[in-house]
Amino acid sequence: MTTLYLVIPLALLVAGAAVVAFIWVVRSGQLDDVDTPARRILFDDAAPRPRESSTDAR
Amino acid sequence: MSVAASATGACAHCGLPVPRDITFCCSGCEVVHSVIAQNGLERFYELRGGDAGAAEPARTSGATYAELDDAAFQRLHVTIGADGLARTALYLEDLRCTACVWLVESAPRCVDGVSEIRVDIGRNRADVVWDPMSTSLSSVARYLDRLGHAPHPYRGFAREAQRRKEDRALLVKLGVAGAALGNIMLLAVALYAGLFGGMSSTDTTMFRWISMCVAVPGLGYAATPFFTTAIGALRARRLHLDLPLSIGIVAGLGWGAANVLRGTGEVYFDSIAMLVFLLLVSRWIVLRHQRRASSAAELLLSLTPSRAHRIEGDVTVDVAIEAIVPGDRICVLVGEVVPVDGEVVEGRSALDVGLLTGESNPVEVRPGDAVHAGTANVAGPLVVRASAVGEATRVGKLVSTIEAMSSRKSPIERLVDRIAGRFVAVVTTVAIVTFVVWSLLVSISIGAEHAMALLVVTCPCALALATPLAVTVALGRAARRGVLVKGADALERLATPGVIFVDKTGTLTAGKLAVVSWRGDVDAARLAAAVESGSDHPIARALRTYAPPTRTATNVREELGRGIAGLVDGRLVVVGAPPWVRTTLSIDGRSLPSGVEYWIAELAERGETPIVVAVDGVAVAVAGLADPIRDDAQLAIAELTRLGWRVELLSGDDARVVRRVGGVLGIPIWRCTGHTSPEGKVAAVNAARARGPVVMVGDGVNDAAAMAAATAGIAVSGAAEIAIEAADVYLRSHSIAAIAETIAGARATVATIKRNLRFSLVYNLAAGGLAVVGLIHPLVAAAVMPLSSLTVLASSLRSRAFRSPS
Repeated sequence: MTTLYLVIPLALLVAGAAVVAFIWVVRSGQLDDVDTPARRILFDDAAPRPRESSTDAR
Repeated sequence: MSVAASATGACAHCGLPVPRDITFCCSGCEVVHSVIAQNGLERFYELRGGDAGAAEPARTSGATYAELDDAAFQRLHVTIGADGLARTALYLEDLRCTACVWLVESAPRCVDGVSEIRVDIGRNRADVVWDPMSTSLSSVARYLDRLGHAPHPYRGFAREAQRRKEDRALLVKLGVAGAALGNIMLLAVALYAGLFGGMSSTDTTMFRWISMCVAVPGLGYAATPFFTTAIGALRARRLHLDLPLSIGIVAGLGWGAANVLRGTGEVYFDSIAMLVFLLLVSRWIVLRHQRRASSAAELLLSLTPSRAHRIEGDVTVDVAIEAIVPGDRICVLVGEVVPVDGEVVEGRSALDVGLLTGESNPVEVRPGDAVHAGTANVAGPLVVRASAVGEATRVGKLVSTIEAMSSRKSPIERLVDRIAGRFVAVVTTVAIVTFVVWSLLVSISIGAEHAMALLVVTCPCALALATPLAVTVALGRAARRGVLVKGADALERLATPGVIFVDKTGTLTAGKLAVVSWRGDVDAARLAAAVESGSDHPIARALRTYAPPTRTATNVREELGRGIAGLVDGRLVVVGAPPWVRTTLSIDGRSLPSGVEYWIAELAERGETPIVVAVDGVAVAVAGLADPIRDDAQLAIAELTRLGWRVELLSGDDARVVRRVGGVLGIPIWRCTGHTSPEGKVAAVNAARARGPVVMVGDGVNDAAAMAAATAGIAVSGAAEIAIEAADVYLRSHSIAAIAETIAGARATVATIKRNLRFSLVYNLAAGGLAVVGLIHPLVAAAVMPLSSLTVLASSLRSRAFRSPS
C-alpha cells in the first residue's frame, strides 16, 4: 500500500495538469463556438476553384 | 381555368414548386444560383442535401454597402492588424445550415483580397479578414449579399465581450468540477471497498484527507455561482432554488471536512461532487439556449436600412443613417426600403407597407403624404423630408414596446423558487428537530451526524434539474422539426388553451399577390403578361407568374396605380383597374360589356382585386387577384380548434378580404377583424388577455408588438426579423400546421416538467425520512442521489413532446 503514497499524488498532479490545460483551452477561445466546427468537418479539404482558372489545372 | 399555375417544376436554388416554364421561384434565388455557378461552388447543393428546413427562397438586397467603406464607420468597427490586414465582424442573415457556412467560408477563394472568413452559426456572425490594399469591405459585403446572406455591421461588441467572459467562467468551473468529481469518485470507490474488505486506519485517513483536499477547494470554487445567487436572493429577501442547493453543498463539504479533521464520522464528498457537476452541466445547457435566442434578437438592428441617400444641394450622397437629422431631404429609389419617417416632397410612387400594417396591396403616395421607415418603395423614385429617424420612428417605437414587454419571468421558474422557499423552511426545521431528538436520545455527535445527512441527501438536485432537462430535450427535438422555441416559459405559456389570434397576410396566406381566378378569354393571360413583362408592380409580377410571357410588348405606357397598355404582335393590349379601363376604352363614358361588369362585381364581392384585360379595344377577360391561402392553413385551424383553442383572424387588410379568408377556413365572421393597425392589434390582444391566455401568430412588423403583448407569440416562416425577435416560437418550416404541433408539444413538455417536479419531491421526502430515522449511510446517499437525477433525465427523454407520430 505504500506505493499509494507516491502514485496518488502523481495521479493528482496529472489531473491538475489536465485542469490547467482545460483552463488554457477555454481562455484561448477554442470552446466559444461549439456549433460551427461540428459542421465544418463535413467540408472537403480540396478547394473548389473558380471556373475561370480551372483550365490551367490540367 | 389556370394557364400555367399548376406547379410542375422546382426552383433550381431553393426547391420550392414553380410553374413549369420557370427555373427560379424569385430573383433572389436566381442571383444566388448564378453566383454559386460562376464560382464553382455547386457543392453547396450537395452539402445541403435533404435538409428541407434549409430550403427557403434566397433574399438578396442588391445594396451597394458603400457606407461600410466610410471612414467614420471604419474607425468604429474595423481594426487593422500588424500584418496590414483589416478585421471586422458582420451579422449575416439567413445562416441556417452547414451548406450556408461552407458557402460563406469559401469567399476567400472567390473574392481577391479576402484572406479569411470564419462563421459562428450560433451567433449569426462572420469574422472577416481582408487586405484593405486589394479590396474593400463593401465589395466583400456585396459578394455575401449576392449569396443570399445580407451582411449588417456587428454592433454588439460590448455585450458580446461580457457574455463571453461569463460563458468562459462557467466552462472553467464545469471543468474543475468534472476533474474533482472524477478523482473523488476514484478515492470514494477505494474507501467503500475498504469498508467491506477491511483497510488499515492510516490508509483510510489518507484517502479521507486527499478527498478533502480535492473536494473543498475544487467544489468550493466550482459551486460559487450557486453561493452568489443564494446570497443575492437572501439580501433581496427573495426565495431562490440556489438557497437550498447552497445549504446542501456547504453542509456536505463543511461537515465532511469537520469529520476528516476529527478523524471520525461520515464524509459525503462523492455525492456533493456529483451534485455540483450535474448542476453546472444543466446550467451550461440553459445558458447556451439563452445565447442563441439573444443573438437572434440582435439581428433586429438590421430592420431599417443602415444608409440613406441624402440630397445635398444638387447632388445625392450616401451617408450612414445615424447622420440623418429631421429636416434632411432623402432620395428613396425603387426597390429600396424607406429609412426614415417623413413626408414626400417630390415624386409619386406606391409603397409596400405590408411590413408595417399587413396590407397586401401597395399604397399610393404623392407629395404631402406621410411615409414610414420600414416600408418598401415599389414604383418610382421619391424625395422624402425626414421627420423622425432611428428610435423615434414608428418602427423604432414598436421595437421598444417589444423590448419592454419581453422581459417577463416564467411562471414555472417562480413556482420552483416558491417550492424552494418552503423546502428550506421544512428541511431546516426537520434538521433541527432531528438534531435535538437524537441528541437527547443518544448523543450530540449522533444528532449532528443525522441532521447533516438530512441536509445533504435532501439537497434538491433533481428539483434543480427537473425543468431545464425537460425543456432542453423538448427544445432540441422541436428544433430538429423546424420549430425554434425560445425558452421554458414559452412552452409553458402555450400549454393552456385560450384565444389564438392569427394574422392573415403572410401567415395564413402567401403574402404575395397572385391570380386566383380568371374570367373570360384564357389566351388573354399571356398577352396581359407580355405587356406587364417590364413592370415591377406586384400585380405585374402576379400576372407573369400566372402566365409566363412568351412575347414582348412595344410602346408600353404605364399609369401608376391605374394600369398599363402596350402593343403585342400588333394588337393593343390594355390591363388595369376597372375604372381606368372604362375611361380608356370608351371616350363617351359608356360602361364595359355587361358580362365583364358582372365578372368585376363578382370578383370584388369575393374580396379579390379585379383587373380587366382588353385586346384591341374590347374587354375580354377579368383576372381576380388575391393573396392565396396557404395549403395547410385549413388543417392547422381545425387542429387548433380540436386542441381547445378559439381561433380569431386579426389583420390589417381590408375587412372583406379578411372575411373571405375566414370563410374559406371555417372561421365565423364575427371572429374575423380587418383594418387593424399594429396598435389596434396590441389593444385586441390586451383585451383578450384579461380573460385568459392569448397566442398571437404572425409574420410582420405589424404583428410584432402584439406578439410581445400576448401570452405567447408565434412567428411563421419568412417572417420579418423583428417579428422573429418578438415571438417566443419561430416556425422555420413552410408548413403552418406546425403551430398545432408546437402547441401539442408544449403541453407534453409541461406535463413532463410536472412529472419531474413530483418525482424529485417524492424522492426528497423518502431520502429525508431515511435520514431522520438515521438510516442513511454515505454509500446509500452516493447511490440514491445520482439515481434521482438520472430518473429525472430518463423521464425527460421519455417525454412525448415533439416526437414524430411514427
